[in-house]
Amino acid sequence: MSGDKPLSRFHQPIAVPGRRLLHHIKLGFVRKKVVGGGGRSLNQEVPLIPFIDFLLCIVLFLLASFSATGELPLDKNVKLPNAENVIDMVEAPMVAVTGTQILVDGVPAGNTRQIEDAHEKRIQRIDELFQMLKAKRELWRTLKPDKPFPGVVILQVSKEVPALVVKSVFQTAALAGYPNVSFMVGRLGEEEGK
Amino acid sequence: MAGIDTGGGHGGKRALNQEVPLIPFIDFLLCLVMFLLVTAVWSQMARINANAQVPGPPQDEPLEKQEKPKTLHVEARGDRKFQLIWKEGSTVINTIDVERKKVNVGNDYRYPDLAAKIKSEWEANGTHRNKTDPKLDQAVLSTDNSTPFADVIAVIDAIYTPKREMTMGNTTELVPAFNVSFSMN
Repeated sequence: MSGDKPLSRFHQPIAVPGRRLLHHIKLGFVRKKVVGGGGRSLNQEVPLIPFIDFLLCIVLFLLASFSATGELPLDKNVKLPNAENVIDMVEAPMVAVTGTQILVDGVPAGNTRQIEDAHEKRIQRIDELFQMLKAKRELWRTLKPDKPFPGVVILQVSKEVPALVVKSVFQTAALAGYPNVSFMVGRLGEEEGK
Repeated sequence: MAGIDTGGGHGGKRALNQEVPLIPFIDFLLCLVMFLLVTAVWSQMARINANAQVPGPPQDEPLEKQEKPKTLHVEARGDRKFQLIWKEGSTVINTIDVERKKVNVGNDYRYPDLAAKIKSEWEANGTHRNKTDPKLDQAVLSTDNSTPFADVIAVIDAIYTPKREMTMGNTTELVPAFNVSFSMN
């Protein structure tokens, strides 16, 4: 038989191609090392457990700081002063004094011009504000007849508003049945204040 | 991926291994984080309290026998000094002058000297200092009508500097030593 004669490339049997690179290295274990066999697997596991732990921490923090009452309605024209010794906000009627206008929960309730332009500079009751606050108090009492009325009102007053106007609004609120008046302020950091 | 491997599954029996579906769980957590971040309120707003002196219900005790409370009147008139006046009813007990020295803090200002003096005065003369005392000492603020509101807040902030412990039920809280109201004249 012509076993010595190699078959032409058109007559060779079909075989699964094997590794050809560096096949001339005789020693198997050397060849394996040279071609990079036995190395680290390239598959990578994504560490999901720490990722879930991290997400859970964020969720818990956000849930703890979540406020169901929504954003505090702050009039954009009001420039609030800052203070250090403050307490947290509560839900209460909001009276904003900006420029010459007075707003109760965003609804106009008179203006300060009558106080500032008066010949005699003295504290005055602001009738429109008084009526609106009184109506709010009566509505609260109708809706919650079994609960004591807290009498809290929050004033948003711009930095530059004179004390005469502040005292007039303060007194009007007290006369309308809101003796616990709070002033809305920015929270001044303790380290900033020192 | 996370799973519970109890072994088994040999001899034609159904394997009891379970895969915990982590991907939908992560999706759910991410949605929750997004929702909470969108609805979060990052406002740094707070309030500073003032109280209108509204008369309470009439008392049976005759007027002359009723104890007249000691009050601290803070006079913030003029631009040179503050005056701290301790009064018992209408009787003046003591008057202290404090220099009006502003210290700028960002866009605002504070009166640290006034705050320190009010604190030392309360420690020396305050009436309601016991933990179990539910009442607070009264401070009355008098200002000029033209004083800007920022200045009023700086003085109220100084009045609220001294703090005391107050026991309410089983809890003890740190509360301001004074309750502030305005002088209306």
